[in-house]
Amino acid sequence: MEIIEISGRGVIPGIVEGEALVCPESITGWGGIDPETGIIKEYDNINKGQSIKGKILVLSGSKGSNGWSCYFGAARVAGAAPKGWLFSQIDSSSGVASAVMNIPTIVDFEKDQDPCYLIKNGDWIQMDGGTGKVKIRKSE
Amino acid sequence: MQLSDYEKRILDGSEGRLKQIAMENIVRYAEILGAQELCEVTKATVFCGAHNYLSVCKSDDIHEVFSKMNLAVDEIVPFDQTYDNCYIQSCVAPCDQYEFQPFGQTKEFFNKNSQFLEQAKKAGVNIAGTCSPYLTGWLPIKGEHFVTTESGVTVTANSIWGAMGNSDGIEAAFWSSICGRTPKWGNHIEENRVGTHFIEVKASVDSLLEWNLLGKAVGVKMPAGGIPVITGDFFNVNFNKLRSFCTMLAISSNCEMCHIVGITPEARTVEDAFKGKTIPEALVIDDQCLESAYESVCDRGVGEVDFVSLGCPHFDIDQIRRVAAYIKGKKVHPNVHFMLWTVYPIKCMADENGYTKIIEDAGGFIYTSTCPGSIGDVFLKKYKAFVFDSLKKAGSVKSETDGSVYFGDVYRCVDSAIRGKWEESDRWK
Repeated sequence: MEIIEISGRGVIPGIVEGEALVCPESITGWGGIDPETGIIKEYDNINKGQSIKGKILVLSGSKGSNGWSCYFGAARVAGAAPKGWLFSQIDSSSGVASAVMNIPTIVDFEKDQDPCYLIKNGDWIQMDGGTGKVKIRKSE
Repeated sequence: MQLSDYEKRILDGSEGRLKQIAMENIVRYAEILGAQELCEVTKATVFCGAHNYLSVCKSDDIHEVFSKMNLAVDEIVPFDQTYDNCYIQSCVAPCDQYEFQPFGQTKEFFNKNSQFLEQAKKAGVNIAGTCSPYLTGWLPIKGEHFVTTESGVTVTANSIWGAMGNSDGIEAAFWSSICGRTPKWGNHIEENRVGTHFIEVKASVDSLLEWNLLGKAVGVKMPAGGIPVITGDFFNVNFNKLRSFCTMLAISSNCEMCHIVGITPEARTVEDAFKGKTIPEALVIDDQCLESAYESVCDRGVGEVDFVSLGCPHFDIDQIRRVAAYIKGKKVHPNVHFMLWTVYPIKCMADENGYTKIIEDAGGFIYTSTCPGSIGDVFLKKYKAFVFDSLKKAGSVKSETDGSVYFGDVYRCVDSAIRGKWEESDRWK
């Protein structure tokens, strides 16, 4: 089974592993997820109907309103947060969401190590938010 | 990270647990971004009220809800102070300032919302209840650092006034209001405010509706982190057109600022906007781009309507005056709920000037402190066909209901309210 290792800037420490859910077009924050269940409800999201709960969530960055962070924060309170997350490039809204969630977080990957392209849904991810290292076990 | 003596003092808890948590969160946020230092925030808008997403926190204790949701901590810390050198206003709430029955809300919910607002007042927040904080004097000047919970205001304040702010988020706006600091990163740093994309507008853009369309047409062409530099043969430009443009640009992209050559202060010329960098090849916006933006939201055909809403962003007093003058002596169709949205001090001016009476005599209403989208499904579900003078509101309601949604010029919206029907002639062009 193929294993790929990449690294970014580790910004919130912690070692976690889990199944990847990858949204290269991000998720619209305000109303994009149901915070009670973590299910993505954005009408044109490629992962509509899947839940972020317990996953390693892989996002390009944030998208849409200044309320981007608060639906993820609400998922944290409801117990529907991901285990950890990776952002191709950090921006201010995803920065706030990361500070709120306080789960292992790695950001700012080099272009040739972009997790949104190298990781597919269902891949098994081990991530270390302290060192910024990510190990990807491909599902196929 | 470099911290000042004040910031260290807040962090060590000398000024209480609330400020300490706010500063801890801001420092964590700054480290995540990779910021080297913080900067002082002197203008802030915050998202107060019993907003729908807060209901995941199953508690009737407003302090517990505030702590868990906005401070992101499990201990209970009352929101009872803010940073003294910051002018803080509340953004829209999920309730009108005075009424709940027209929207199908309960008295209990209205009271709960008021409880949140009362607590915010005690902390030092001016309750304004608006997405358009400048209508009540919240005007950050060039170089002033601000935070806001309204994406359209982020773009407006960065672009039109040259103030400095990022999108941040609802929680971070509270943290900054409490401790008076935000990470010095992104748009807070002069060098990051240079244009990245060159947009040449060849479409004919004049009316408020067309500036709405231009905002979307530019927004859909912009990648994350882009700052468009826009040129065109613009005339009759005014602040209302620009703020509608900025609002649409914000929600159809990740843009936090733009330059409009000859109009915005950091773009006296194209070269000025790019600050000596090579000017990239222009992306052209033509009439076709505006038409696509219009067709993407306004339903085709004609039909009866029962909901006509004006004022997103909130109307200023002169916009209300113009609607009153147009509708004077006419009658809204009995099946139609016709409404204008503004901030309550402007409603008071409309009362004094006689505009409210004219609109009410015609069968319409002026509401304040919220909007149809912020109230949500409890209100919208009662209606079948919607008319808006705002592309933002038309788009957001389109995602939330199965009803027909039409978008048009403000006077055509009024015509449809009187007729109780959207006609082909109400469409743009």
